[in-house]
Amino acid sequence: MIPIRYNVRSLAVRKTTTIATALGIALVVFVLASALMLANGIKKTLSVSGQSDVAIVLRKGSDNELGSVIDVGAINTIMGTPGVKKDGNNAPIGVGEIIVVGAMEKIGAKGVTNVQIRGVPANAMQFRPEVTIVDGRAPAPGKDEVIVGQRIRGRFKGTDLGNTFDLRKNRPVTVVGVFAANGSSYESEIWVDVDTLRAAYSRPGMVSSVRVRLESPDKYDGFRASMESDKQFGFLAMRDSEYFDKQSEGTSIFVGALGGVISFFFSIGAMIGAMITMYAAVANRQREIGTLRALGFSRASILVSFLLESVILALFGGGVGALAAMGMQFVKFSMMNFQSWSEIVFTFEPTPAIIFRALFFALMMGLIGGFFPALRAARVSPVVAMRGG
Amino acid sequence: MTLVSLAAKNVLRNKFRAVLTVMGVAVAVLTFMMLRTIISAWTSGADYAAKDRVVTRNKITFVMPLPKRYVDQVKATPHVKTVTYSNWFGGKDPKHDREFFAAFAVDHTTYFLVYDDMDVPKDQMDVFQHDPQGAIVGDLLAKKMGWKVGDKVTLTSGIFAREGDWEFHIDGIYTSKSKAIDRSSFMFRWDYLANDPNVQRRQQGQDANVGWIVSRVDNPKASADVSVALDKAFADQEIQTESQDEHAFNASFLASFSAVLSAIDIISVVILAIMALILGNTIAMGVRERTNEYGVLRAIGFTGGHLAGFVLGESALLAGVGGAVGIAIAYPFINLGMGKWLEENMGNFFPNFSVEPNVTTSAIIASLVLGVGAAAIPAYRASTLKVVDALRRVA
Repeated sequence: MIPIRYNVRSLAVRKTTTIATALGIALVVFVLASALMLANGIKKTLSVSGQSDVAIVLRKGSDNELGSVIDVGAINTIMGTPGVKKDGNNAPIGVGEIIVVGAMEKIGAKGVTNVQIRGVPANAMQFRPEVTIVDGRAPAPGKDEVIVGQRIRGRFKGTDLGNTFDLRKNRPVTVVGVFAANGSSYESEIWVDVDTLRAAYSRPGMVSSVRVRLESPDKYDGFRASMESDKQFGFLAMRDSEYFDKQSEGTSIFVGALGGVISFFFSIGAMIGAMITMYAAVANRQREIGTLRALGFSRASILVSFLLESVILALFGGGVGALAAMGMQFVKFSMMNFQSWSEIVFTFEPTPAIIFRALFFALMMGLIGGFFPALRAARVSPVVAMRGG
Repeated sequence: MTLVSLAAKNVLRNKFRAVLTVMGVAVAVLTFMMLRTIISAWTSGADYAAKDRVVTRNKITFVMPLPKRYVDQVKATPHVKTVTYSNWFGGKDPKHDREFFAAFAVDHTTYFLVYDDMDVPKDQMDVFQHDPQGAIVGDLLAKKMGWKVGDKVTLTSGIFAREGDWEFHIDGIYTSKSKAIDRSSFMFRWDYLANDPNVQRRQQGQDANVGWIVSRVDNPKASADVSVALDKAFADQEIQTESQDEHAFNASFLASFSAVLSAIDIISVVILAIMALILGNTIAMGVRERTNEYGVLRAIGFTGGHLAGFVLGESALLAGVGGAVGIAIAYPFINLGMGKWLEENMGNFFPNFSVEPNVTTSAIIASLVLGVGAAAIPAYRASTLKVVDALRRVA
C-alpha cells in the first residue's frame, strides 16, 4: 500500500492545479448543499406549524385554508365532537380562524406582494404555545390592533412595531407586537382579531378553518370519521401536521428538483475538471509510477493510490463547498408558496444528513473523475516509464 | 510553419485533454443556457404581455371580487375599447386531482375579443356561443388530459360548492402564437356559473360579483392613464380597485419569485466560473509542460507577446469549439426535450420554454470572454518567462 502522504504531497506540489480543481468541486457542492438546505428549510418552516394532537377541519374540496368556508354555526358542531379536549371550565379547546391574503407594498421593491392575514380569536396564542410575543405586546381584544410575525416585520409598508396600515379603506390597524413561532410559517403572517378582519373583508358569519386539540393523538381517527360522516356541512378533517406537510409539498419539490437538476449538470462539469487534472498528474508522473512499480508495488495499489488522490482532492473541494454553504444559514429567502399564493420567508436549514450527502456527492465525483486516470496509471509499464517514455 | 498553425498544433498535442476540455466547456455552456432559458421563459409572461390590456382587481386582495356593475363603469372610461370579466373557478378534474390548471368563468361574448391572441377556430367558437355549458380549453391542457372537442367533462370547484359536480362540454380548443398566453387554461361561460341556483343563493339577492375586469385600450400608451383613471373613479366607492396593464401585473406577480430568479441568475454565473476554472487549469498545465519549448522560442527571437498570443489563441480556440458544441446540443435538448415537457406540465409557469436568441448570444460572448480571461494568468506567465530559467527548468 502506497502511503497516503505521498498523494497529499503530490497534490501540494501542484498548488494552482489542485486549487483550481478543488474550487470547481467546491462550487458544485456549494450549490447542491444550498439547494438541499433550502428545500429542508421550506419543509421545516411549513411543517413545524402543525402539532400532532391538533386536527384541522376545512370545507370538503378545499386544499387549503384560503379556499375554505365554514359557517360560524358549524363551529360548535365541530368543537362538540367526541375526542376534542376540554379545558378546566369544560369548554372544548379549539380556534375558528379566517385566512385572507392582503396585498401589501413591499419596502424596497416595486409593486405589491401577497401576505397572509389570519383573523384569530382571543385564545389563538394559548392554543399555540410556541407563539410568543418578542417585541411590543399582545393585542387587546376587540381593538383594531394587530401583531406581525418576526420574519415579515418591517418588510412591508406599515408592518413594523407602532406602524399602522389600512386593512381596507378607512379601516386602519396598528401594529402593537411582533411574535415568534418557532420558525414556522406563522412568522410570515399578520394576526388580527377575527371580528375586525371579518368586518373589514366582508366575510360575515364564516371562518376558513377550525382547529381543535384532541384528547390524545390517537383520537384522530374517530374524530375524522365523525367529521366526515356529517353530510350536512361537508367537512374535511386532517391532522394539522399532515395539512402543513401538504402545503410545503409543491414548493419544496420544486426547489429540490431544480437544485438536483442543476447539481447534476454542474457535477458533470466538475468531474471532467477532476479528470483533466488527474490525467495530467498521471502523465507527469510516469517516471514516479514506474519507480513505484519497480519497487514492487502492484498495479492494484497504484490504482488505489491514484483513486485516493482524486478522492482527497474532491473531498477537500467538497469540504470547502459545504463550509461555504453553512454560511447560507444567515440568508433569508422570501418566495411565494405555491399553495397559498402568498409570500413566506424561508431560511436555509443545514442538517448533518445534508452535509453528509453533499460530501458523499463530492466523493463520487472524485471516484468517477479519478477512475480512468487511475486505470491508466496502473497500466504504466515500469520499463517504458523509467526509460523516459 | 506559420504561427497560427503552431498554435493549432499545440491544442492538438494532447488530443485527449483537448477533447475533455471541450466537453467540459460544452456542458457548462449547455447548463448556462438552460438556466438563462429558465429565467427568460419565466419572465416572458411579463416581457411579451400585452400592454394594451388593463387588469382591474380588488385593491385589498385578489380573493375578494368586484361588483359586476363596475364593468359598465369601466366600459364608459375614455380610451377603453372592449371590456370583459372573469372569475377564478378553482377547478379540478376529480379523476386527476393532482393536476393543476387555471379554470375561469369568462364572459363568452367579450372574452375572446379582449384576448384576441387566443386562436379558436370559427366553427368551434360558434358552438361555444350557443352552448350554455360550453368550455374552451388550451391545446396543451387538452392533450395532457386527453380531452377532445365534443367531450363532456366534470370538474369540482374549490370555491363554488354545488350539489354534484359541474359538467361542461368541450366546444373548442384554443392555440396561441403569443409567448405570454398559457395554453393550459380552461374557460367556460360566466352565465353558467352566475345562473346556478347555489351560487345565486349565496349572493342573497345582491349584485353579482366578478373576480376581475380586463379592458382593452385603443392605444398601449394610454394604458397607464386608463389605470389611474379607473382607480380614481372607484376610489370613493365602497370597494376600491387596483388597475395595472398586463405587463405590470405580470411583473408584480414575478416579483414574488424574485429570490428564486436571482438565485438562478447567480448560479448561472457560478457555472461560468467552473468553466473558467476547467479551462484555465488545462491551459496552465499546457504552459507548464511546455516551459522548455517556450524558452527555446524566446531564445530564437520570438517576443513575449508572441508567446502570450499562442496561449490566448489556444484558450480561445478551445472555448470557442466547446461553446459551439454546447450551443449545438442546447437547442435540441432544451427546445425539444426539456422545454416540451415543461410546457405541457408546467404551462402556467412556462407557457413557452425555448432558447431565445439573446441567450445564445450571451453564451457565445461568455465562452469567448472566459476563454481569453481564463488564459490571462498563464499567458502572462509565458510572456514574462526568462529564457535562462525556462531552459534550466525541469518540468
